Amino acid sequence: MKKIIALALAMVMAFSLVACGGGSSKEESELIATNPETIKILAQSSSEANANILRDQLSKAGFTVEMNTVPDSASWRQQREAGNYDIALTGWTTVTGNVDYAVRGIYHSTGNYNYGPILDEKVDQLIDKGAEETAANAAVTYTELENYLVTEMAYTLPIYASMKMMAYNNELLTAEGIFQPKSRPGRWEMYEYVDAANNDTRKLTLTQTSSAVSTLDPIQANDGTMNTLSGNQYIKIINLSDDDEIMTDSSLSHAYAVGEGNATYYFLLRDDVHFAKTENGAAVDTGVLVAADDVVFSLNRAKDKETINTHKTNTLHEHMEKIEIVTDIEELKTVKDSDTGAAIIDTLNAGVEVPVAALTAVDEEVNNAAGTYQVVKVTTKYAFPQVLNYLAHQSAGILHKEQVELYNSKFDGMSYDPNKDICYGDYAQVKGGMTDMLWCSGPYQLIKADDYGIEYEKNPGYMPEDERFAPSIKYLYMKFIKDTTSATSAFRAGEVDILGSVNANDVATVEGDAKNTVLKRSSNGVTYAVFNLLEGSKMTDVNMRKAVLYAINQDDFVAYNNGYVMPVYSTVGTLVETGNVHAQDLVKSNHHLALAQGLVTE
Amino acid sequence: MANTMSKKEALYAKKVANRKLSGSLEFTTSRLGYQVSAALALVFWFFARKGSVMWMGVAAVYTVAALLQYVICKKIVKEVTGEANAVSPATRKLGWLLLPFVFVGDFFLFIAGCMLIKNNKNLEYQLSVYSTLVSIFIIVVSMLNLFKETQASTFWLGIGLYGLYTVLNLVVMQAVRKYTFGKKPDKKFLPYAYISVAGLALGNVFSFLLGIVALGKYYNKNEEVNVEWIDVIRRLFRNYMACIGMFIVIFLLSVSVASNLTFEYAIAIDNNFRVRLAAPSLMYPFGCDDYGRCVFTRIIFGARISLLVGMISTILPCLVGGMLGAIAGYYGGKIDNMIMRCLDVLAAVPGILLAIAIIAALGVSTVNLILSLSIGGISGYARTVRAQVLGVANQEFVEAAKACGAKDGTIIFRHIIPNSLAPVIVRVTMGMGSAVLSTSSLSYLGIGVEAHIPEWGNILKAGSKFLETNPYIAIFPGIAIIIIVLSFNFFGDGLRDALDPKLK
Repeated sequence: MKKIIALALAMVMAFSLVACGGGSSKEESELIATNPETIKILAQSSSEANANILRDQLSKAGFTVEMNTVPDSASWRQQREAGNYDIALTGWTTVTGNVDYAVRGIYHSTGNYNYGPILDEKVDQLIDKGAEETAANAAVTYTELENYLVTEMAYTLPIYASMKMMAYNNELLTAEGIFQPKSRPGRWEMYEYVDAANNDTRKLTLTQTSSAVSTLDPIQANDGTMNTLSGNQYIKIINLSDDDEIMTDSSLSHAYAVGEGNATYYFLLRDDVHFAKTENGAAVDTGVLVAADDVVFSLNRAKDKETINTHKTNTLHEHMEKIEIVTDIEELKTVKDSDTGAAIIDTLNAGVEVPVAALTAVDEEVNNAAGTYQVVKVTTKYAFPQVLNYLAHQSAGILHKEQVELYNSKFDGMSYDPNKDICYGDYAQVKGGMTDMLWCSGPYQLIKADDYGIEYEKNPGYMPEDERFAPSIKYLYMKFIKDTTSATSAFRAGEVDILGSVNANDVATVEGDAKNTVLKRSSNGVTYAVFNLLEGSKMTDVNMRKAVLYAINQDDFVAYNNGYVMPVYSTVGTLVETGNVHAQDLVKSNHHLALAQGLVTE
Repeated sequence: MANTMSKKEALYAKKVANRKLSGSLEFTTSRLGYQVSAALALVFWFFARKGSVMWMGVAAVYTVAALLQYVICKKIVKEVTGEANAVSPATRKLGWLLLPFVFVGDFFLFIAGCMLIKNNKNLEYQLSVYSTLVSIFIIVVSMLNLFKETQASTFWLGIGLYGLYTVLNLVVMQAVRKYTFGKKPDKKFLPYAYISVAGLALGNVFSFLLGIVALGKYYNKNEEVNVEWIDVIRRLFRNYMACIGMFIVIFLLSVSVASNLTFEYAIAIDNNFRVRLAAPSLMYPFGCDDYGRCVFTRIIFGARISLLVGMISTILPCLVGGMLGAIAGYYGGKIDNMIMRCLDVLAAVPGILLAIAIIAALGVSTVNLILSLSIGGISGYARTVRAQVLGVANQEFVEAAKACGAKDGTIIFRHIIPNSLAPVIVRVTMGMGSAVLSTSSLSYLGIGVEAHIPEWGNILKAGSKFLETNPYIAIFPGIAIIIIVLSFNFFGDGLRDALDPKLK
């Protein structure tokens, strides 16, 4: 017994000796001692990873972090509107590829998505100034805006810019037919099978996450549930290239020209696009030309807030003053092109084989081969070169005047009640079987829709003689798969042919199969966080915002996403080379926190 | 004819041998010892197939362990079924060889060794073995932190204290050998008994049981009659699988306490992208998840919250449901009808759906999680207790109490409830396993514990994204969940048998 006690004592001594020499994992620092500050982060469970990295960084910077993870966007909005947050994670994708769209909605005091809200006259002035300038001059203004917005005032918390990654089956589809646009939705008409024998028989399967399509009327929504669908169902008078350059490919225009002063825009229309409709479950050519009066009707509809009370995109088109059909060819000869200084007609003629000989407003008289064309002129309220980007947006899709009026004339637009009235593009009705409602001007006509997906057939009247743009695949199926993980599995199992977005963590597994090709490119999708700027919030203090801003290390986000996201400074950064780079600086963060708490003075 | 006779004889001999063996603790512990060691050795060889020196080393040690244990087991079989009918002292000495394997994590061999070394094993001895094993195992598991870049500032203090505690356990074991083999424990054992009871503070329930068993025996007035609850524990410890189940649960309970000192919480929740998705190694035994957090440390800290939520959300409905069931069963009639019909409505809603609905309404937090899991369990307990009370309430001793003028409350709480506890205890034990599972399920769905908090369901969820590329992140928490649920079930099964009057 004594032996055991002696042994025990010896061990105690040994252990306590070791304990005294034990190292500590806490590092000493030279930071100012500040009071504990609690930061509430609001995030949706889909951005749980971002929220977690943010939490980690803020707590390492000395903040006490409270998480409020909500399951969906509705709860997120509710919590945000109640002001129940300090920082809320969100994101913005500039689908039109122009800077005005990237800043107006989220930073301008009138913006629909200005969540803070940021109410700063200087920000408003800079945004309005940039809108009126040509690209080169605007870059300076937008750089100034970014400096003020982030560096000086820390109104927004940049997290990262996403990369756009899509995957396709390279044994099935040709690489030439796959386009990966930076901003606009995918181009269905360009897809082509490796084996041309498949063209008329095999259904090409695409996928999207949401089955709750908001509407198929271009102007009533601008969201992920319908952008791709609407973008391919309706033709626009201008298009964006993969890199957000303005182009006429697959658009209703042979050519376009900008009049001197950047306030008038001329579009020379094609005569080989017809509306399609659905009859007995198949797409047929109506024989009706997509003509200038349809363009005027559709664009007026898009810009007029009073068209319908569920209008969601009028702010994109409010810069347009007037849309009209040009019938006087002399106007084209007298107005000068803003780029070349030559007559507009020369610019327009460069895009066609047969030069413009006559203009007409009457659809039946149009005959491009004989030199009779239609020209549409758009006049903006002030010089606004970025109008072209907005005209390339899906909300400027061209509809058939009579077909829309057939439904929408039955009620007053401003007292429209979705539960009672049936409007053009009402998705619930389309799903219920009213597929004959839709007359599509784009490459594909919707023939059937249900809760699992939407079936499309190519529009037989869409540029049938044009080898470049006539769709080659006859049948297309948009399958709804709720989450990206399942979509990825479906793609790998061959149930889906093109995967619109690949998770950063799945790239390696998808690429592991030689038959899959993953395309990666930069995009305009920016993940950022807004501060609660409501009265009474501690985030109204610029020093508090800066304390948070300097605690952020974007490298962690890049590392988490396997390098498939990029550092960013603001939503401007993906479009304009501003030269701003965010860097974590815990000493600065600590200094600003001390300033906010009144512990030190400048 | 002769052939059939010999066949029958052989069958009979086999039966006798089997009966002798199943009564031998030495045999049951050593058989499971070599089986598990061999199985683990195979798993480790599988890990080592890519030439990892660490895994090869571990696999080799386990192979040796399995072989050694196998040889010893064969010896035991030979001796127990042989003429002597007992294990020889020479074989018992071999038991010492088995003990060191606890340092590579093979506690089966430690138990087998302890059971082999000593010829005479009473309940107290078994309890002190398990109690010692818990403290040694905590040190062994904590020592894995030595391979980390940094240790918790209290690491060595913790190791020191637990080293001391192990020594204390060994001292108690010696005292057990000296003082407890009589009809009742020697008076000199009392201080040791009190020390053992205090072990509960560290989560060491074995030590606690040892203490109260000794005290119970010591203060038992009638030496001719055995204390009933001690008998239950004794019967429980005859079932080796139940012991293993108990050991694992109690070990996790104790390590939840110990991790406060010997584990660094920061490693479990701070992101460290340098080691993102790191493969298992000595530094990160279970690898790292997609945020570079050590999965092993997360599982250790996860035990705390899983057990806490599991236990509270089982005991809470047990108390409420038990009370309601007792009242319903005792009074009967309208009261019974009212209570039970209300609970039937509750029972008609699937538990997990009810939990999801409650959390959706109240928000995500640990308290709400406990609440939502508890409410769904009430009706089950009420039903069990009511059925039991209905049976007990008509018995003579209740009649007698009534005749003596005892109040209803006294009758319910003094006479009826104690006599209807057995099935409830079993239900609680089994229920804890499923409560841990429910907690993990809800966390997996993202509505349990906050995502960054180490909880087994959360860890599993983080791993599920990488099943194809980095399966270990999901496999280890998955195994942890399986093991704890199995442990509770084995324990519950053993308890049911021990409490069953027919199996006395």
